[in-house]
Amino acid sequence: MYRRIVGLVCVCLFAVHIPLLAQDFKVFDRNVQIHGFASQGFVHTSDNNWLTMYTSNVGSGEFTDFGVNASTQITDKLRVGAQLYDRNLGGLGQWYPTLDWAYAQYKFTPWFGIRGGRVKTVLGLYNDTQDLDFLHPYALLPSSIYSVDIRDATIAHDGGDFFGDIALGKKLGSISYTAYAGHRANSPHGGVAYLIKSDGLIFNSLEGIQYGADLRWQTPIKGLLVGASHQNQINDENFALPTPGGNIPIVSSDNSDWINQFYGEFTWNKLLVDAEFRRSWEDTGTKGVNESQINTHGWYVGGAYRIVKRVQVGSYYSHYWVGFPIPSILPAGSGHDYDKVVVGRIDINRYFNLKIEGHFIDGYGYPAVSPIGFYYANNPQGLKPNTNALVVKGGFNF
Amino acid sequence: MKKTFKTFPLLVASAGIAMLLPAFAGNVKIIANQSVKADSISASELKSVFLEEKGSLSDGSRVEPVISRGGSAHEAFLKEYLGKSDSDLQTYYRSLVFTGKGSMPKAIASDSELAEYVSKTRGAIGYVSSETRTDGVKTLAVLGVENDGVRKLITRVEPVYPSALHDNHIGGTVRLKVTIAPNGSVEAAELVGGNPILGESAVAAVKRWVYAAGPAVTKTDVTIPFDPGR
Repeated sequence: MYRRIVGLVCVCLFAVHIPLLAQDFKVFDRNVQIHGFASQGFVHTSDNNWLTMYTSNVGSGEFTDFGVNASTQITDKLRVGAQLYDRNLGGLGQWYPTLDWAYAQYKFTPWFGIRGGRVKTVLGLYNDTQDLDFLHPYALLPSSIYSVDIRDATIAHDGGDFFGDIALGKKLGSISYTAYAGHRANSPHGGVAYLIKSDGLIFNSLEGIQYGADLRWQTPIKGLLVGASHQNQINDENFALPTPGGNIPIVSSDNSDWINQFYGEFTWNKLLVDAEFRRSWEDTGTKGVNESQINTHGWYVGGAYRIVKRVQVGSYYSHYWVGFPIPSILPAGSGHDYDKVVVGRIDINRYFNLKIEGHFIDGYGYPAVSPIGFYYANNPQGLKPNTNALVVKGGFNF
Repeated sequence: MKKTFKTFPLLVASAGIAMLLPAFAGNVKIIANQSVKADSISASELKSVFLEEKGSLSDGSRVEPVISRGGSAHEAFLKEYLGKSDSDLQTYYRSLVFTGKGSMPKAIASDSELAEYVSKTRGAIGYVSSETRTDGVKTLAVLGVENDGVRKLITRVEPVYPSALHDNHIGGTVRLKVTIAPNGSVEAAELVGGNPILGESAVAAVKRWVYAAGPAVTKTDVTIPFDPGR
């Protein structure tokens, strides 16, 4: 409760003091920029509770996040910065602040640079910006790929990146690349930990090495971007089963999991069209002992149009399904999540925005193994095959 | 009096042309702090600077982009050089800022304030409308490339600013389509936008420019500002 109060007070202080906050100040004659953002959502659903919130009765406003960063350009090639991020989403986040990113970046040339520290992971169009609500037309990005409850599985790594932009000439456009390697850890307040805890286990850690690359091509067709990402990671699991005689450790080191993602984005005047496909493969358990595989697929296609300067409307269709046999005894709705979404966004001014979004969801994925917004823990009555949701979300940034 | 009689038809003609070419009013000029060594910048390099892909020019000058909060020069600059709308550009900068990859450029409300900031800030590079007085800053020529291969400009001859227009504070930006021969000489320079009187002077100068030799004939867009404030 104390953390919630502190969190809400922080959000209110942010909102009230935006015009007073100096975005630039000098430290040792260096220009330091401070920026921040916050959002507050309200969700009401028919039938099922969603995203670990109790949404199906009167709805839930336990949907808050905020972040603040400081950065400075030390030389024309070297910059450093860090961002704190905090959220409370139903049973997730719980107002525990996290170091979202903190790194030094050195750009030798436009086509080659390095970063080191805690770095947001580039994976597909929006993995590294998925928390930045104000950048996107939607209140919730397509859950088939960017499910907000399991963001911490891919959000950042402690390690380093190589990156660059290479101009190919007017006839060929340009390419951008990022290659990275590091260590990443699931949050003890994230969706996977929530699932493990709801199974009666103790979540100690779920972490491992992560490496991958992203290549995107800004084509010579104006506004058209296409790209592909690949990621490998190893999950070292450390859970425990509490018993009257003491905790029994459940420790395993599974094989390499991978994600392949392909994407495209087209912007033309006031129109934005984007689409992505992701295939995920996860080995669980210990190789040769209790090994099993979880493979999932997701894709979406969306479009948004700015009808006037401050109003944007959009829609997307998100399609998720598991690629392994579903036990026949499970009720309808298992193994998939098809979400049809419509949204309206109003930019009140340069700092504030408001979104109203409707979701019409068929299915709830496979919550026992691979969560995507729905959990048995806060749906003890069982999950219904369809869920309609109204999401209202306001945000600001400076 | 004689001089006035001579220049009067010229002024009337210029004013008439300005009224007939409303797009001319939306032209921008690229300005830089005197610490920037370059006198010209390629369109692609200009784009890289404003998208924060580059922090210095090819001559080694450190540069810091400065943007306008709105207005016709801002719109014209976005359309001509960045190919983004204002909201797209804001989204782009915010994605840099909130992932740690870049800074939010200094945004200034008016052209005159922007010019003043650029004049006082080492490495600053910005844009203002052609009509803005820009004392104390450099005006950079923008070199565009249409065909493959960037042809480096080796010899640049500055155009003569007709004194009748200069004295009466008539300026603007002239756009030319330039054809470069494989040996680097300028084969042709065609006026595609701007005041024809200034254009005539620009064409005469550009025809004396020399580029680096290349494998084939190439075409490039050249923008030359005539700043009556200088």
